[in-house]
Amino acid sequence: MRYVRAALRRLAGVFTGHRADDELREELQSHLDMETAENIRRGMSPDAARRQALLASGGLTQAAEAVHDQRGLPWIESVVADMKYALRTLRHSPAFTAVVVITLALGIGANTAIFSVVRGVLLKPLPNRNGDRLLYLRHSADGPGQANISFSVPEVRDLRTGVPSLGGIAEYSPWTLTLQSDNDVVRIDVGLVTGNYFEVMGLAPVRGRLTRPSDDGAGVPPVMVLTHAFWIKRFGGDSGLVGRQVKLDGQSVMVIGVLQPAPFFPDRIDALLNMVVSPHHVSAMMVQNRSHRMTEVVARLATGASVAQARTEVAAVDARMRRDFKEAYNPGSHYRIAVLPFKEALGERARLTLWLLMGAAAFVMIISAANVANLTLMRGVRREHEMVVRAALGAGVGRLRRLLLVENFMLTLLGAAFGVVIALGGVRLLISLAARYSPRANEIRLDATVLGFTLALSVTLALLLSFIASLPREGTFASWISAGVRRMSGSLRKQRLQRGLVVGQVAVSVVLLAGAGLLTRTMIRLSEVDSGLRAEEVLALDVPLLQLSGGPSGGSDPMAWFRHLLEMDAAAKQQYERMRSEIRALPGVNEAGLGSSIPLATSMMTFEVKAEARPVPVGEAVPHADVRTASPEYFRASGIPLLRGREFVNTDQPGSGLVVIVNKTFADKFFPGEDPIGKRIAWTGELLKFSPISGDWRTIVGVTGNTRDGGLDAEPRATVFMPFTQMLSIGGALVIRADSNAPGLVAAVTRIVHRIAPMAPIVTVLTVAQIKDQSVAPRRLNAALVSSFGILAVIIAAVGIAGVLAFSVSARTNEIGIRMSLGADRARVQRMILKEGGALLAIGLVLGVAGAYVAGGIIRGLLFGVAPHDPTTFIGVTVLMAAIGIVACWIPALRAARIDPAITMRSA
Amino acid sequence: MADKLDVQQGTLALMILKTLEVLGPLHGYGVARRIEETAKHRLTLNYGTLYPALLKLEQEGFITAEWRQSENNRRAKFYALTAAGRRQLAREAREWHQTADLIAAFLAPKREVP
Repeated sequence: MRYVRAALRRLAGVFTGHRADDELREELQSHLDMETAENIRRGMSPDAARRQALLASGGLTQAAEAVHDQRGLPWIESVVADMKYALRTLRHSPAFTAVVVITLALGIGANTAIFSVVRGVLLKPLPNRNGDRLLYLRHSADGPGQANISFSVPEVRDLRTGVPSLGGIAEYSPWTLTLQSDNDVVRIDVGLVTGNYFEVMGLAPVRGRLTRPSDDGAGVPPVMVLTHAFWIKRFGGDSGLVGRQVKLDGQSVMVIGVLQPAPFFPDRIDALLNMVVSPHHVSAMMVQNRSHRMTEVVARLATGASVAQARTEVAAVDARMRRDFKEAYNPGSHYRIAVLPFKEALGERARLTLWLLMGAAAFVMIISAANVANLTLMRGVRREHEMVVRAALGAGVGRLRRLLLVENFMLTLLGAAFGVVIALGGVRLLISLAARYSPRANEIRLDATVLGFTLALSVTLALLLSFIASLPREGTFASWISAGVRRMSGSLRKQRLQRGLVVGQVAVSVVLLAGAGLLTRTMIRLSEVDSGLRAEEVLALDVPLLQLSGGPSGGSDPMAWFRHLLEMDAAAKQQYERMRSEIRALPGVNEAGLGSSIPLATSMMTFEVKAEARPVPVGEAVPHADVRTASPEYFRASGIPLLRGREFVNTDQPGSGLVVIVNKTFADKFFPGEDPIGKRIAWTGELLKFSPISGDWRTIVGVTGNTRDGGLDAEPRATVFMPFTQMLSIGGALVIRADSNAPGLVAAVTRIVHRIAPMAPIVTVLTVAQIKDQSVAPRRLNAALVSSFGILAVIIAAVGIAGVLAFSVSARTNEIGIRMSLGADRARVQRMILKEGGALLAIGLVLGVAGAYVAGGIIRGLLFGVAPHDPTTFIGVTVLMAAIGIVACWIPALRAARIDPAITMRSA
Repeated sequence: MADKLDVQQGTLALMILKTLEVLGPLHGYGVARRIEETAKHRLTLNYGTLYPALLKLEQEGFITAEWRQSENNRRAKFYALTAAGRRQLAREAREWHQTADLIAAFLAPKREVP
């Protein structure tokens, strides 16, 4: 306590020094006066008395100094003096200061921005209570579209009883509902959850309450909890909303609370409800059938349990299920359950991309630091004379080191300050990138931790830069001074260090360029992918009319609900047809078609499928195909080519023969080398029982080209189209081909849709070009970021090479002068310098290509259509770097060649 | 006159505290006079030693300072003991006695004949 108090007073003393100095002078004076008076009293003459008193005082100035040192913190004051001095020196070399600060600002800015994203998306603890105990269970199987098949309710039940190390297991089923208000209708993404969901997730409400176990099952009123983001976006954060009723799919649902902000997985959602809102979710088929998998599972580790324990127990339950219920688990499909920490699952898609960017940014930092180190080294050599003089005036090595430290701190902190400004701008761009990969993008902030990272980075840099400059050992200065040395440059060690740094810069630049090249080629390849349809002027919109929840009797009687669904479907089909024909009649529209979903978007349904008289070989994964529907005009409107057979025709009606059109992937898979027209296929599998689709045989009448529905980088999946009229209108989309300016049709089309179905939400309106672009956009941003890092690196490295060679030339001016006077011509001198730079460049290139080879392997997962060690990219990058490097060498080489031997020799 | 001693580090604080306890609030000159007299002028106490020590005690909260008129109408800074200062004095005096006893006991025995 006493020391703290004393320290605080001393710290205060640093700032209140002036006033205290006056006071001290007065106090000392009064002491002196009293002593003088006393001496006079003892009989001395006034002069002698005063002299005697002064003698005894031991010197007023010395006393004042001593008190001064006790009052404040002397080292702070001398640091302040150093800072003032450093500022002055930096101001006197504005070019050096500017180059260093800009270089550092770019490096630090890039790192700060990317680190803020890495932290927000991958590192930051979850907002959930004890978020590190939260687990996500993923059920998957072999085959396309089977990476996450989710769980059935019986499976969840088995996990609940069989895995004691999971303290709580909650169900979460993604669903869409239509939210109606007085002025509009929107589709919202919701999660239907069990009552223990929020307890397991460790989430709290900010308004009202959350659902609890008493909200489970049938026969309870449906209730809704809004996510924080949706509450703000849709309701403007209205607190009065809690307790009010809203209309969801035609039924009244009470809003009971608002959830704290939290990330969701696998999808972002708008609200959470109890299961009863969907009759299907509380129906027997949902809760009793093992193959009816619609439920995501989150779980919380029990106290004292470990993830490894949970994994073992889950694997045991999984094995038992597969043994006891063989019909639900085809052995060839390899069903399996993965247990992942929830945080890891959230960061899954973003991880590789973000670490790639972080790595690229770190490389830029390394290059800029190397450049600044080189500049500092060169400047250090120029300042040696100054250092010698300072040493001669009594500055010890420690004092000189401190001066360097202070200078470098000021440089890096200045760089950091500008860097943070750059980062502030960059973060906004990065958030939009991260939002495509992670539900946690809204957690990205330039907060204290990120700024702490920036500060740590700057301090480390300053320390490195200060200790890279070699100061001589204590005492050696004196010998130099006495020897009359003015400079101690040309130290081989420093030259070697500088050269090493240049080689490193070139190598790192090559790695970055190669990465940028690979990603750019990926992006180009992707945009060149044939999406499978002629995209020019096509407008596509999703207009789901059929509402799957609600209806009469709240789902207690499945048959009544089904009848209701069919009635609604008939009405919806009429509305769709009216929309189609009215839109078709619009001027400028060439064709308009109907389908279950817009082209280039994933189908909502995937079923097992079989071909007549072709049993699946034992041990092979059960084949699946995407289910889509199409009206006769759909393919023409979308521009999907018909490869064989015929399109649907208006006579393909519910009453007529069941027909399908399959895509090329499907045809190649089931009928390799044969004509599939006339062959019969049928939907099959356990899941079919719960769908409105029959397992009847259907005849293939046509084969279409493939479309890239799962994204441009995904292989086309086997797809089966059924006539729009022969299938329940689940989903519902319009595809419109115009003769020009498809976006110009949006207003007219929207008007028609709203007039015919005022309560229908329009989910998406996009031109096909836009859909395609959305698939490429994240890659483009990726490639652009890494490319700009690469370009930055090359520029900095080029400056580095030129700088080091220029320095070498100026240090060797004398030598060159002598060589020239002995007969070396300009070309020879130029070659000499070029060789010096060329050697560094060559070593850097070799190391860089090796590094790029490794880096290519690491980012393999981000590439598309280009090999990770693509020779074209590697050669191109090497040539580019070599060309830039040679130009950078040329400038100092030219300068060397222009040296006039007469002048140099004279001035030496 | 015997050689004058420089005041030992650490003992000056004790002397100042004791002086202020005995004489009450006092200015720097008074403190110096008192210490020199008590030491029978075997100590020299110049300003550069005294005033930093006073400031240190003040910073540590053992004494307070205040400008006042002196007995012969001069403005002077008077130092006074605080409660913490009193405790510190007692503690340091006790420690000093113990050390002194110990050293005395150590130095007392004559050379022993083997």
